[in-house]
Amino acid sequence: MTRPCKQPRFINLITDGLRIALLAGADCFICPNPRPLTVGASYPGINQWRVLLGAAGPEPTSQACDDILRLRLMDTHRSPSHSPIPKLTERPRVLLISSPLFTLMEEEPYLEIYLDRCMNQDELASTSSHLFSPIVPYDSYLHTSSNQETIASPLEPSKEPSTDLSSVDLSFLPDELNQENTEQTLTEGKPGVEGNHEIQGAPSRVQSLNEKDSGGICTDDFSLSNSGLNPLSDGNSTLPSPENSSSGFFPLTSMTPLMPVTPVSEGSGIVPQLQNIVSTVNLACKLDLKKIALQAKNAEYNPKRFAAVIMRIREPRTTALIFSSGKMVCTGAKSEELSRLAARKFARVVQKLGFPARFLDFKIQNMVGSCDMRFPIRLESLALTHQQFSSYEPELFPGLIYRMVKPRIVLLIFVSGKVVLTGAKERSEIYEAFENIYPILKGFKKA
Amino acid sequence: MSGGGRSRCPDCGCAELVEDSHYAQSQLVCAECGCVVSEGLLTTTFADEGNLREVTYSRSTGENERVSRSQQRGLRRVRDLCRVLQLPSTFEETAVSYYQRAYQHPGLHAARLQKKEVLVGCCVLVTCRQHNWPLTMGTICTLLYANLELFSGTYLQIVKVLGLDVPALSLADLVKTYCSSFKLFQPSPSVSVSFVEDKEKMVSRTLQLVELASESWLVTGRHPVPVITAAAYLAWRSLQPGSRLTCSLSRFCKLAGVDLPHPAYLRVQELLAILLRMAGQLAWLRILNLDKQTVVKHIGDLLQHRCILLRQAFRDGAEEEEGEEQPQEEGEEAGSSTLEVLEKKRPASSPPPLLPPCMLRPPKRPCPTPADPSITGDEDISDSEIEQYLRTPREIKDFQRAQASRQAVPGAPAPS
Repeated sequence: MTRPCKQPRFINLITDGLRIALLAGADCFICPNPRPLTVGASYPGINQWRVLLGAAGPEPTSQACDDILRLRLMDTHRSPSHSPIPKLTERPRVLLISSPLFTLMEEEPYLEIYLDRCMNQDELASTSSHLFSPIVPYDSYLHTSSNQETIASPLEPSKEPSTDLSSVDLSFLPDELNQENTEQTLTEGKPGVEGNHEIQGAPSRVQSLNEKDSGGICTDDFSLSNSGLNPLSDGNSTLPSPENSSSGFFPLTSMTPLMPVTPVSEGSGIVPQLQNIVSTVNLACKLDLKKIALQAKNAEYNPKRFAAVIMRIREPRTTALIFSSGKMVCTGAKSEELSRLAARKFARVVQKLGFPARFLDFKIQNMVGSCDMRFPIRLESLALTHQQFSSYEPELFPGLIYRMVKPRIVLLIFVSGKVVLTGAKERSEIYEAFENIYPILKGFKKA
Repeated sequence: MSGGGRSRCPDCGCAELVEDSHYAQSQLVCAECGCVVSEGLLTTTFADEGNLREVTYSRSTGENERVSRSQQRGLRRVRDLCRVLQLPSTFEETAVSYYQRAYQHPGLHAARLQKKEVLVGCCVLVTCRQHNWPLTMGTICTLLYANLELFSGTYLQIVKVLGLDVPALSLADLVKTYCSSFKLFQPSPSVSVSFVEDKEKMVSRTLQLVELASESWLVTGRHPVPVITAAAYLAWRSLQPGSRLTCSLSRFCKLAGVDLPHPAYLRVQELLAILLRMAGQLAWLRILNLDKQTVVKHIGDLLQHRCILLRQAFRDGAEEEEGEEQPQEEGEEAGSSTLEVLEKKRPASSPPPLLPPCMLRPPKRPCPTPADPSITGDEDISDSEIEQYLRTPREIKDFQRAQASRQAVPGAPAPS
């Protein structure tokens, strides 16, 4: 069955991360469901397929995520010549990245930015060709000839994302959708399919999948960050067909600030929440702690007990230890940005008290996150099998202390399934540590 | 001042050596012939050996001179502790070697004396654990008069520093030793005949109860001793329910001569709840409408079939979840909210899940909402917001006045 090959036009809309991945030698396949700017890549040699995407906003990201997952799961049109494909036993992990591009440009439409970059950069051609050479999965759709076209005509896709979305969206889907997905029991094909595409069954399946996403999978297995990326379930109970959703995000001109994309554990749908951030900053001036304690309402200073002023502010709710050398420790914030904002507020208070305070070397020293597995864990067995990493002393502490080597994070694992992760300098370390521990703990789920 | 072994007088061969002092110099004198066997500071080990007095190796080689006095004291305490606990001699050597290794580390070398005392206990504990000798930290802390916090800190530090592989406390052995320490196996003035129990039966039944507890999530994450106390109490009561049913937990502990750990009350209640559920599965017990007191009579029967009963009485939490998900996925319409899917809709008749008690209780606080991700950290800070934290000059004067007046009052602590 021939399918219109429209996807390649979106190839040039690649995120930085993906480009790096490609340069690193990743194989790629193009997501057939062209929420624009979504491309999937896999790293050869690693036993997991990671899908990188960048998208124009939270909704399309989640949609794209869903679709990529579905499609990745039904990986039937790989050509046999492709080198070892790991058999998909579990859900692939989805790593969402946001290109720095997104955060910078809030006013301009994304596509224009991309177009500028595409046109300006010569290496795009090289990476694209690099991109296409190992591509196997959707051979039937990708023709080398069309690649050249797409590079040459970057403007084309920008103008017609939404309309073509509907057309190319589902045409790509294989017929063998059902076979691969045992856990997603598909409902019957739903009406409301766009007219242009050729395969009738596929779109309905996608729609049903999308619906199911809203009902089941998207939320159970793979809810993206709670605040930002809202799965389609909230919006429409009827199927958000690609058309509707695309029209939803289509006005790339009116940009919602991009939510920071968060990685998702395979099939767990759990994202560790940051509970506390400890950061330090240098105010670069000697401080008179007695004067600060006298003139500031929110400060306490007891030199006999501790040689620093303890200052608190209400918004964001944080506490700072201010030392006479000018160094300050800020604790209690729930995110990196809030910590920075709080530290700046403290510095401003010190400034207003008459000291020439500056804001140097702001550094996050520690991040603490927590999450809930929702199933009980046999700590004794875990301590036995992972003896070299775990320390479980019920006489001292009810939780198991797991010292992960890479990344260097300490996890406190409790019998109720709650996990506390600490010792991270970066948010990604916490997520990575959780991704590492999740399969281990799942193994202890049943007694 | 006497040396390693008791020896005989080289002249007359008499074994009675008396320590006496001659002008403040201590001497070892034979009681029979008066021969001076050794003098305090003026004899050497060589001279001692010449006088056919045996000198211990540690004193002759001068190895103790190389070791600092506090380390010597620590090593001696390690040996003493091993002897007090009646450990085999091999344990002593291992513990001593651990102490020596630990002492080399800068963190422990320069630690306070208090910590070095506790270090002694840690080394002995590690040795016992490695040989599966059931020794609890509580025991060592009481022997050393140390507080558990310092002990735990030192213990974790030494395990990390020495890179030791310490196996977990073996519960079965602990049950045996703990139960053996009960004073219920012989009649005595305090223990009447009806309270005396056969040790073997009691130990085996306690073991079975502890196994049941560990299967039903009552042991994970909890201190082991209260569980064992609770299990022993129920086992003892069930072996002769007629006379013992009315005996309370505190009375039982007094009879047995052991301390009553506070969590034991809760463990007893939890164990009884599990047993009641299991009893509900046996037809002839269901009709009896058992409660927490009467179920004790049937503990023997319940324990005999505990595996099956436990499985029947509680469904596995995880299985139920998966089973529910599938029919819901098939039947549910697309519009179902996330909450409905995740909610466990149980029919009234199905058994409750077998979960640790902390999961069965409802959560105390609602989960906090995550931070608003739209904050960049570089927002503008309004002056008014900062002003609210500063005192006006008037307030400063008032505050200073108040501080001064408070300091004027004698004995008042300086306000911060």
